[in-house]
Amino acid sequence: MNACIPLAVAENADTAPPAWSFVLNGQAVEVHCAPDQRLLSLLREHFLLVGAKPGCEVGRCGACMVWLDGQPANSCLLMAWQLEGRQVTTIESLSCTPQAAPVVAALAQSGGVQCGYCSAGMCMGLTYLHQQPGMDAPTASALMCGHLCRCTGYGGIQRAIDALFPAPDQRNSAGIS
Amino acid sequence: MTQPNAPLPAGVMRPLAHADLARPDALAKLGGNPGYLSDRIAPGQLRGAILGSPHPHARIVSIDTAAARALPGVHAVVTHADIPGQADYGLRRVDRPALCRDRVRYVGDAVAAVAADSLEIAHAALDLIAVKYELLPAVTCPQTALRPEATAVHAGGNLLHQHRHRLGDDGAADAATVHRVSATYETPRQMHAFLETEGGVAEPDGQGGLCLYFANHNPERERQVVAALLDIPPERVHSVGSPVGGSYGGKDELTVQPIAALLAWKTQRSVRLHLGRAQSTDFGVKRHPMRIQMESGCDARGRLTCHRVQILADTGAYATHGPEVLDAALEHAPGPYAWQSIDIAGRLAYTNNGVAGAFRGFGAVQVQFALEQQMDRLAHAAHLDPADFRLRNLKPVDAPGPLGQIVVPFDGPQRALAALVRHPLWVSHPQRHWSDGPGGRYRHGIGLALVHRSDGFGKGFPFGCRMELALAEDGAIELRSGFTELGQNLLSAVRNTCVHFLHCGPDDVRPVLGDTRCTPDSGPVAASRATTLVWHALQRAAPQWRSQLLAATAQAFDVARENLRLGAGGVHGCAGLIASYAQLALHMGAQRPKITIDQPPEVTPSDAPDTHYVFGACAGVAHAVVDSWTGSIRITEMALVGAVGPVVSPMGYLGQLEGGALMGQALCTQESLDCVDGHYQQRNLDSYLIPTLADAPSMDVWAIEGLPEGDTAGPRGTGEISVNIATPACANAIACALQSPIESLPVRPATVFRLLEGVFA
Repeated sequence: MNACIPLAVAENADTAPPAWSFVLNGQAVEVHCAPDQRLLSLLREHFLLVGAKPGCEVGRCGACMVWLDGQPANSCLLMAWQLEGRQVTTIESLSCTPQAAPVVAALAQSGGVQCGYCSAGMCMGLTYLHQQPGMDAPTASALMCGHLCRCTGYGGIQRAIDALFPAPDQRNSAGIS
Repeated sequence: MTQPNAPLPAGVMRPLAHADLARPDALAKLGGNPGYLSDRIAPGQLRGAILGSPHPHARIVSIDTAAARALPGVHAVVTHADIPGQADYGLRRVDRPALCRDRVRYVGDAVAAVAADSLEIAHAALDLIAVKYELLPAVTCPQTALRPEATAVHAGGNLLHQHRHRLGDDGAADAATVHRVSATYETPRQMHAFLETEGGVAEPDGQGGLCLYFANHNPERERQVVAALLDIPPERVHSVGSPVGGSYGGKDELTVQPIAALLAWKTQRSVRLHLGRAQSTDFGVKRHPMRIQMESGCDARGRLTCHRVQILADTGAYATHGPEVLDAALEHAPGPYAWQSIDIAGRLAYTNNGVAGAFRGFGAVQVQFALEQQMDRLAHAAHLDPADFRLRNLKPVDAPGPLGQIVVPFDGPQRALAALVRHPLWVSHPQRHWSDGPGGRYRHGIGLALVHRSDGFGKGFPFGCRMELALAEDGAIELRSGFTELGQNLLSAVRNTCVHFLHCGPDDVRPVLGDTRCTPDSGPVAASRATTLVWHALQRAAPQWRSQLLAATAQAFDVARENLRLGAGGVHGCAGLIASYAQLALHMGAQRPKITIDQPPEVTPSDAPDTHYVFGACAGVAHAVVDSWTGSIRITEMALVGAVGPVVSPMGYLGQLEGGALMGQALCTQESLDCVDGHYQQRNLDSYLIPTLADAPSMDVWAIEGLPEGDTAGPRGTGEISVNIATPACANAIACALQSPIESLPVRPATVFRLLEGVFA
C-alpha cells in the first residue's frame, strides 16, 4: 500500500482506537479505527482503493463486492472487527489475475459494461462463481441477482454468463471457457 | 424465442450478429478505476455535506451556524448569505436557489453546507446548525395546486407552463366517430437510480480559478452557472464531466456542483462532496408523474377521427427541464398516426413534492403508454388486428409532423411495424392471449406497440454544437467534444464514425470528451443528439481532413497525390503505408490539421415553437405472464425493431435498446417512487426496487438502417427510444393477458387482483 490517508488520530491512549490486522490483496496491513468502521470506507478513504463503489451502502447493489477469505462479500456490510486475521481481496488485485481474465473478456465482449459503476463488483461476483465446480448458467444467473445494473438491461451480463458457463453439449464449441 | 439463425426480413439487421470492437473503456471499468469523478479521493481534501430541509414547505425564519462553525475540524459553513454572485439558476426559468434564502420548497431542499476535515465532523456540524422554520401549507397535489386558492410555491403562481395544440375540424371528426374510447391514465414518479450518486470534487486551481470534477452532461454550462454564482469570469472555472456512473437524464441539470464550488471557494481548499443514497433520492430529479385524459375515436372502417388529450404533470418544487418535458408529452401525444383532428392540452404544476426533471424517454413515454392503450382499445372495438389497425392509420411518409410542423420525411414507423409483424414472437402466438398451469393460473398476453420519437432539441432551444477534429502531437486522431460518456458508448460511436468517414483504423482514434480545458462548447449530451451530431461533424470535416493530410504527405514524400489515400495507421500509397499519423504529426508540426466544426442550433423550416424536425421510430412486442395466484407479472420476452438510420456501433445500439427497454418495462411493472405529504417513501435500493437479472426478459433486437431516399438527417439517436417503446409494449401485453385495459402504472399485484375480479364479475 503506497498511498494511504491516515485515519483519525487519537488524542490520548485511553481513546486510541483499536488496531485490526488483516491481509489486503496479499499484503499484511494494520489499521487503527473504530470497530464498526466499514470495510468499504476503509478501502476507499484510507487505502485509496476505489474499485469498490458506494452504490447503496446497505448490501443491495453489489457494487462494493470484495472477497473475504475467498468468498464474495459486500464491503459496505463488513466492519473492521470482522476483518481481524482475514484475507481481503479487491478488484484492484483480482482484475489482472488469470482467474478473472475469462470473466473480464466475456463482460467486455458481450456488452456487459456501460457506465461501468457496477462492473468491478460484477467481475468479483462472476469470477467467484466461475471458480465453482459444477456451476451452470441458470444458477449463476440467479446468484448474480445480488448485483444491480441500471444500464445494460442485463442482456450483456446474461450473454457473458452464457459464454462462461456453456451447457454440457455446447462446451466444445464455446468461444470462451 | 431468440432464433439467431432464423432468416431476417429484408432490410433488417441483427446487431448481435455484427462484429464490433469492445468499447474502449471496458477494461478500465472492469478494473474498477476508469476515473469516476466521485472517486477522486486524495489526502488533504475536505469533505462536504449538505443540510436539507426536513419540511416540504416552510419559511426560513433564521439560520444559526455559530455552533457548527465553532466545532473543531470545521472549515466552512455556508448559507445563501455566502453566495457572492447569482444565487439562483435554471434552464428556462431561473427559479432554483443554490442554497435556500427565505423559503424551502421540498424535502431535501438545500439550506446550508459544511466543509470539514472528515465526513463525521461534517455531519456533526450539520446537526449543530439551528434552522428556525415557520411551516407553510404543503402543496402536494398538482390538481389542487392549480386552484386559485392554493398556496403559491413560487411568486408567479403554481402554473409553470401550459400549451394547447388544435388541428383539423373537431366537429367533423366527432361526427365521423363510430368507436370512441375515453379514459384517464396515470403514470408514476420513476427514479433514475444511477448507481453512482451525485458527487465529485471542487478545488481551487492555485491561480485564482476553480476546477470542478463532477459527472454532468454539459461541462460548459456547469462552468457558466458556477462562475455566475461565484461572480468570476467563466474562463476561470474549469469543468470536467466525464466519465459518468450512470445518469439517464438525472445528471443533466446541475446537482451538487454549486454547493461544492461555494465550499471550495470559501475555504480555498479541495472539497469532495458525494451524496449518500438517501440524500441523493431526496435531492435528485425524477420522472414527471402525469395524469393523462384521452378521448380518441375511429370510424366504422377503423380510420382515426378525433383525438382529445389533457395532460396534468407534477414538476415538483423547481422547473429544471419541466416545460420541455411537458412540450415533449404534447408533441408525442398524437404518435405517428393520422388523426382527422387533434386537441391536445397540457398543464405543468409546481408543487412541494420532490423535483421532476429530465429522464430518458423525456415526457413522451408517459403519453405513449396512454396512446398505445387507446390504439389497442380502438382496434378491439373496430374488430381489427392491432398491427393492421396501426398500419392503416400511419401518416404518409411526407406528411407534416404530429403538431402539423414541417418535418424530415420519414418512413421509420412503416418499416419498423412491417418488420415486427414478421418477428417469431408476434407470428407464433396468433391467439395473443392464453392460459396455462394448474387451473389456468398463468395468464399470457402478447402486446404490440409502435412509437416514434423526436431527435435533438428541435426549434426554440439555444444550443448549437462545436467540435474539433485534430491530429494530436503524437499522431492520434482526436475528435474533441464537450459531450460526456454516460455509459451510452459515445466513445465507440466516435471511434466507429471516425473510421467510417476518415478511413482510419479504430486504434488511430482518441475521442476527447467533456473537459472545458480541451474541448469546445458542444451543448449538452441529451435528447438523443450526440451520435447524430458526431456523424454530421465528421461527415462535414472529412474532405478538408483528407485534403490536408494527403497534401502534406505528397509534399513530404514527393508522391503524386492521386496515388494517396487515408487508411489504417496513416496515409497509404499504391504499395502500402507511406506515412503513419505519428510521422505526419511530426512533419506537419504546427500545421497539423485542427478543424473546427460548427453546427448551429436546429433551424427548422417550421414556425411551430417547441417542436422537432427529425424523428426515429421503434416497434416492439412483449410477452407478459401474469400469475393469477400471486398477482405478480413477468415480462418473459421482448422483440424490438428500431428504425433509426445507420447503426454507428452495433454493440452500442444493442446496449441502448436492451438497457432502455428494461427501464421502460420497470416503469410498467414495478417502479414508483411514492411521495406522501412531500416525503419520499423509499430512499434506497432495498425499498425502491429496480430490476435484477431475474426480471430481465429475453430480448431480440433488430435494426432497420434504411431511410427515405435523399435523407440528410442521418442516424437518429438510440439512447431513449427503447424506454419509449417498452413501457407501452409491456402495458399492452399485460392488458392482453388480463383482458382488461391498463390505466395506471405500475401494474402491481393489487391492481392485478382488482382487474382479475373485473374479468370474472
